[in-house]
Amino acid sequence: MVDEQATADLELVRRIKAGEDEAFEEMVRRYHARVYSLSYGVLRNAEDAEEATQDAFWTLYRKIGTFDESKKFFSWFYRVALNAAYSRARRRPSLPTVAIEDRMPRFAQDGHFAVDVPDWSVAIEDEAAARELAARAGEFIAELPPAYRDVIWMYDVEEIPSSDIAETLEISIPAFKSRLHRARLYVRQRLSEVSSTRPAAEAAG
Amino acid sequence: MSHDEKTCKQLILDCLFEYEDGSMPEEEHRDLQRHFEMCPPCMNFLTTYRATGKTLKMLKPREIPPALAETVMAFVRARSKTEKR
Repeated sequence: MVDEQATADLELVRRIKAGEDEAFEEMVRRYHARVYSLSYGVLRNAEDAEEATQDAFWTLYRKIGTFDESKKFFSWFYRVALNAAYSRARRRPSLPTVAIEDRMPRFAQDGHFAVDVPDWSVAIEDEAAARELAARAGEFIAELPPAYRDVIWMYDVEEIPSSDIAETLEISIPAFKSRLHRARLYVRQRLSEVSSTRPAAEAAG
Repeated sequence: MSHDEKTCKQLILDCLFEYEDGSMPEEEHRDLQRHFEMCPPCMNFLTTYRATGKTLKMLKPREIPPALAETVMAFVRARSKTEKR
């Protein structure tokens, strides 16, 4: 199925390279929603995401000649779109990124948990509370160094296959897994912090 | 639990990812499952790791602006004209 997609993409790419406007329009229809979704993830704002989407397709239009046809088109284009979104993000006052080491789980010398691990998972059973936590999770992802931010956004939010992400970011599968896990550990820890800040009495009541 | 030699640290840092993504051999998975069942902190960690994943799925924008495809095409068309001059 994935291969069918890649084959169809490649055919479109060739038609665009040959100067067919209809082929470009079809490409826009095929990928605008995914590019917007990705841009929104980076920028967290509809207007900026729309502009980043335009930038991405403009780059596609100009640079399609440089696309190496032995590669998967969508991986190439995803990278283009990611750069378009980051370039807009850089124009805004930047968020400081965090040292994720500081928020990795803590263990005692013997390898067991050093502190209590609160179970806040019940919080997401309530739709409104879950949405609020999701919004916070978006902020926490944005704090991550880009190498971590990209993988968690692409995999856990966008649900892009791991092999495509590894290809887009030009990293190995083990590196992908390791980054994704650490990014998840970070976001989990941050969510724990905001979910456990309620006074005990209120939480119990 | 007797032949489960993994510490919580190894379980969480080194094994949890594959425990969850389905790529772990069945026997190893079963051993680790026993650790989770016997160890409340690890179980809570697992539950909240999963809750984190579910929360992240909600972040995908649900609405794409109407007529976005047309806006993009108009943008590229207009820009390609000005850049050619």
